[in-house]
Amino acid sequence: MPQDDQALLTRLRATGLDFVVIGGVCVVYYGAPMATFDLDICCPFGETNVRKIESAVRDLHPVHRLTANKLPLEETRSSFGSLKNIYLQTDFGKLDCLGEVAGVGNFEAVKERSITAKFAYGEFRFLNLEALITAKKAVGRERDLEAVRWLECVKEKRDQQKEMF
Amino acid sequence: MIDAATLAQMNGEYVMPADAGPAWRAAVKYGFDMSLLEESLKLTPEQRLAEHQRVLNFLIEVQEAGQAYAAR
Repeated sequence: MPQDDQALLTRLRATGLDFVVIGGVCVVYYGAPMATFDLDICCPFGETNVRKIESAVRDLHPVHRLTANKLPLEETRSSFGSLKNIYLQTDFGKLDCLGEVAGVGNFEAVKERSITAKFAYGEFRFLNLEALITAKKAVGRERDLEAVRWLECVKEKRDQQKEMF
Repeated sequence: MIDAATLAQMNGEYVMPADAGPAWRAAVKYGFDMSLLEESLKLTPEQRLAEHQRVLNFLIEVQEAGQAYAAR
């Protein structure tokens, strides 16, 4: 199953959904040499926003990947208002949408601690480096702590370069 | 003639940069291959994501090949 993060990001933005990229893709953005097999975003929840997520991936056969029988997203519309997170498998790969980030807080707190990343295919908000380190420490799995080690080196190098100017 | 220091580096010994801070030194001690980070930091963030996508595509191919082999 392919994982096309660029396509997923572009589709999400086209819906007008307000979101911040978090997780492994963010870790890669800052330079840590780690691979990740999903795209994690943080966004405000509620029926309207979940509908936006659905519209971004509607033609990509989205299913709730953590449900035992891989429930199709479209069959769960009646629950859209009750969701706080969504873990999807789509034809373009895994897309996890979270309402809050451990150690950082809800979407507003996450957005406040984000930066604008500019790419040839558009601008997207990414969690800032310090908040990403905080979040990874808060989750605390072995893999997250490995990311923290890399990210602290990146931060140290960045701080050294700032001091040079 | 290759000197002993170069030979050691060829065998994997890492030369700590003069400006290495505590986090960098701790990562070396932990066993990370810091050349991976050094190379990554030479790229722009967009280049990093593109390179990640390329690696990811390869890893997924390898994963699928492994699954196909296991299913034989």
